[in-house]
Amino acid sequence: MSDAALELDKVGVRREGRPVLEDVSLEINPSTIHVLIGPNGAGKSTLLAALLGQIAFTGTIRQRLPDGATIGYVPQSFVADRTLPITIGEFLALSRQRWPVCLGIRPAARAKTGELLAKVGLAGMEKRRLGELSGGELRRVLIANAIDPVPALLLCDEPATGLDPGAVEQLDALLTGLRDDHHTTIVMVSHDRAQVRRIANRVTLIDRTVVDTGQPAKVLERAGEAAT
Amino acid sequence: MRWLYTWWIALAKALGLSAELQYPFVARGVVAILLLAPLLGGLSHLVVARRLAFFSTTLGQAALTGLVIGVAVGQPLDDTYASILGFCLLVAIVMVYVRRQATLPPDTVIGVFMAFTLGLGICLLVAATRRFNIHQIEAVMFGSVLTLTDHDLVLVLALGALLGAATAFAYNMILADSLSPPIARARRVPTTAIDYGFVVIVTIAITVSLKVIGALLVEAMVVVPAAAARNVARSTRSYLVWSMVIAVVAGLGGLFMSTVWRVPTGGAIVLALSVCFFITLPLGRWRSGSPDRS
Repeated sequence: MSDAALELDKVGVRREGRPVLEDVSLEINPSTIHVLIGPNGAGKSTLLAALLGQIAFTGTIRQRLPDGATIGYVPQSFVADRTLPITIGEFLALSRQRWPVCLGIRPAARAKTGELLAKVGLAGMEKRRLGELSGGELRRVLIANAIDPVPALLLCDEPATGLDPGAVEQLDALLTGLRDDHHTTIVMVSHDRAQVRRIANRVTLIDRTVVDTGQPAKVLERAGEAAT
Repeated sequence: MRWLYTWWIALAKALGLSAELQYPFVARGVVAILLLAPLLGGLSHLVVARRLAFFSTTLGQAALTGLVIGVAVGQPLDDTYASILGFCLLVAIVMVYVRRQATLPPDTVIGVFMAFTLGLGICLLVAATRRFNIHQIEAVMFGSVLTLTDHDLVLVLALGALLGAATAFAYNMILADSLSPPIARARRVPTTAIDYGFVVIVTIAITVSLKVIGALLVEAMVVVPAAAARNVARSTRSYLVWSMVIAVVAGLGGLFMSTVWRVPTGGAIVLALSVCFFITLPLGRWRSGSPDRS
């Protein structure tokens, strides 16, 4: 039996009768950063949605995660109503306390949100409104939300989009720290080839199906050759 | 309830309120508003966050259809809660189901249901008015505290407490699902149950409010307080507090206006809510520091 954390066997997704993914078979090893690359519309985000169990698919996805394991998710887009008066602290507290957030943030949740924001370089910004944040700041809040409790599986859809170079460096350290210190399995969609070379253990090129998979340098090289 | 009316008369006299405001039915109206306005105002900030404003309008129209169905099947005109609640729940649940399955935008699906419930209501209403005078259902259409009974107040108190407790219990999950269903699902929030559960809560709250606010205007009470509160609130906590305060102030103001000027309670409350919105609008612009923002 395979010791992969995730095993996909002939996974397919159709949307309005049109195939978005076909025959995707892939193994994702535990405690690795596995990056999905490919052109726009190739089905990378759809594959993450299938891994989350949020869309219907054919084929099989086997998850071998510890009992009660948490799955973290950083979506590609977050279409929040910018006029909604919710602070960053309240947003993060939503899944860190049972007490209704509208009645106040409990001390334990307050401490945890402060700690998480410091990890993504937004220390002291608990009272800023979500709607006032730039795209990069909002993405960092979503990353902070996804890494607590420490997930056994972290799915990130283009997490570096909109981040400045310093924040990308911080994100790299955060992701490699989760992999190395907490054995988190990370599946990430990325268009940032430099970041892929820096942190990925394995890369899969998707274009409706698996086109190529293997060592980052080799897959990127072959993908580059194919593009030229 | 005699103690309540005695207390109200004494209070109204002490406050120097006019003779019209010293009647027992006004006391019942005040209690109903003090129970309903915080509930509806509190729900309003979640209704707006979940983009259910249009949905609430549809429920108001469905209430009218439910009333006519109730009368048609023989329910007494002054006690049609069962048919209104039954029909509204049916419409709400089917509407959520279709919205979740359909590939069309949610407002388009809700628009179809709104047209359907209104069309059905009008046809049934015309047929039903052969058996009673249409003015008899004005209270349900536009709201009237005159029709409130002690039994209604007990119902409002019991259901209000139940709905408030259910909303508080699921509050964080409801808001998390409103902000991002994919993130909420990844965090194991039962988003399907939240979607259906919240519309059931709103439907029951709207149904018990009909006698005070009226079927055609009740959606204003679950939308305008939050819209006005958004102009001034800076956090979820202040959003809730402002929504409730605005609902109570507009509710009591509307009740007194309707009693003194003899206009429908629902209409007066909606006018008072609108005044609150237009007062807070420039405040919000001033606080955001961008007066030219459209």
